[in-house]
Amino acid sequence: MKVPTVAVAVSLAMLLSAPVQAQAPPDLSGVWAPYRGGRGDDPSLAPPPASPIVLKAPYAERYEERRAAEREAVERGEPLATDAVFCMPYGMPRMMSVALYPMEIIQRPQQITIVTEAFSEVRRVYMHEPQLPVGEVPPGYYGHSVGRWDGETLVIDTIAIKESVPGYQGMPHSDRMRITERIRLITPDVLHDEITIEDPVTLERPVTYTHAYRRMPGYKMVEFVCENNREYVDENGVVRMRLREN
Amino acid sequence: MAFAPRRPRAIVRAMAWRPRARVTGWCLALLLAGAGGAHPLLAHHSFAMFDTTSQVTLSGTVTSFEWTNPHAYIELDVAAERGAVTHWSVELGSTSILMQGGWKFNDLKRGDKVTLVLNPLRNGDPGGLLVYVTLPDGRELGNGPGRGRGTR
Amino acid sequence: MRQTRRFRSWRFAPVLGPALLLAACAAEAPEQPASGTDAVRGLNGSWEAYPQRSFGLGTADEAEAPVPPPAPVPEPPLRPEYLETWQAERARNAELTRQGLPPVSSGMACLPEGMPAMMLAIFPMEVLETPGQVTIVQEAFNQVRRVYLDEAPLAPEDAEPRFSGHSVGRWEGDTLVVETVGVKDYVRFRNVPHSMNMRVTERISLVTDDIMQNQVTVEDPEFLTGPWSWTWMYRRWPGYRMQEYVCEDNRYFEDPELEYQRLRID
Repeated sequence: MKVPTVAVAVSLAMLLSAPVQAQAPPDLSGVWAPYRGGRGDDPSLAPPPASPIVLKAPYAERYEERRAAEREAVERGEPLATDAVFCMPYGMPRMMSVALYPMEIIQRPQQITIVTEAFSEVRRVYMHEPQLPVGEVPPGYYGHSVGRWDGETLVIDTIAIKESVPGYQGMPHSDRMRITERIRLITPDVLHDEITIEDPVTLERPVTYTHAYRRMPGYKMVEFVCENNREYVDENGVVRMRLREN
Repeated sequence: MAFAPRRPRAIVRAMAWRPRARVTGWCLALLLAGAGGAHPLLAHHSFAMFDTTSQVTLSGTVTSFEWTNPHAYIELDVAAERGAVTHWSVELGSTSILMQGGWKFNDLKRGDKVTLVLNPLRNGDPGGLLVYVTLPDGRELGNGPGRGRGTR
Repeated sequence: MRQTRRFRSWRFAPVLGPALLLAACAAEAPEQPASGTDAVRGLNGSWEAYPQRSFGLGTADEAEAPVPPPAPVPEPPLRPEYLETWQAERARNAELTRQGLPPVSSGMACLPEGMPAMMLAIFPMEVLETPGQVTIVQEAFNQVRRVYLDEAPLAPEDAEPRFSGHSVGRWEGDTLVVETVGVKDYVRFRNVPHSMNMRVTERISLVTDDIMQNQVTVEDPEFLTGPWSWTWMYRRWPGYRMQEYVCEDNRYFEDPELEYQRLRID
């Protein structure tokens, strides 16, 4: 068996460096379903409560107004149009906390790829690289993610999410938003993704929430192609459903 | 075109992986065991179009079963008295959610006679959101986990 | 749209000395030797179509052709009852295009190409090998297909119709043999009609360290008189970072009268 040349470097590293992680990182590969606690489940498996969203002025007021308008529209039965009407995917960070849909983690040493079943979204985490400066990354739905192992915890840093991508709970965000995730196995079959959002422009302080998953061994991820979207926004801005005649 | 060899690059031979234990026979029904405990972090956008406090029962013939995303649809011809036919469009969840609720892509087809219960569109158009349907073979299926006859 | 060459320079010189060694140590964690379906075979990474689809894209090393490019895709061996219609549609579409009236297409509606067309790799492609599965992501339309290495093939009647079908694969020596069924009948390559019994077989192997070939065979006795085969090739694109593809600004629509593609200008 070929001995990688980097094995020599490994030995040196162990001599020179602080305690080095010599064991393989946890294997997160597989398909995961959003965790739904059942009767009798250990309560520590459930995710802890989310911290509140505390926005800076004037974002806070506008946000509350928008939420109130949304609630009122729903009560009227005429919901305000959202990105979902146009089959827009969630992007980051919302794709990591979608109820009912599984996600797949494809873990390789240099890159961890996460595919969520809703809208078949794909994000890539580049391992053991420095993060890029914010201005150098074209903003997008998924931004640029780098990851590293902190013991048994996968720490991911994500930048460069487009401002037009709706934020967590619809919160406004700037292109300086930074998302930090700490992903770890609570048990071999339960995974927690603790997500922290920071935004020096819109947020008074960071928001932290946790999405929990349970392994779905044997489940095969299915395709999601938005090919039959019948929703549209009519001339009054109301979301309607297109019917067929036969 | 000259066939010049490319500058040699060492292929990074991917590392060997630990063999993973495989658990077979995962029962998707466990997904449904949540008994409504999970809070959907992202509320579905379009339920508000439907009057979820009222239910309409329809019997008719399937003209098409569209197993698609973002929603599946049952298209139904419903015969009223005196032979008039009204065509209804019935919205279901996404195919993934339906499969978690026991549906298969070929559970319905054109010509099948079904009875179904739906939450109608608020604006009175002949459309609605499926609550549950009785298939020709007598099975009852809801609209994904947490929605159906027994879960209200 | 397409990434230009400047983004290739996202290759970071790792920070010096101990940091490099630490990183190398973490990345090269000692693991058990591979065996059977867990073996990964060097298909991992980013790939571009070979030869390039258009000048100026990708690695742009046009002058170097390490292996002869594959022959063009041959005409589909359609059964006589379908051949004439298909040829007439092709002629009509070509004429429309000549007149500047491009025919409607699935891409116009942001629909993915599906199988087998997605393996054209009109944009770059990423292959990820993990135990028991090969995952292929096409940058165009962000299409994800999964090839399961431990599964028996599905019978077509049990296969939920999909754009990318259902794929199982096995290694025969250094060749990955993939069988795909369950492609929706309106998902077409070159507008060739097919049934739900269509079967696509791919034989994927490395020709050199940097060139991958994919020998594709389509079989569908209902529509074809025999197997329809061709070869696609890909060139490794080390360091290429796959881009996202979200159809968020689609301005194409079908002209309601003349049935051709139009562009909405606001």
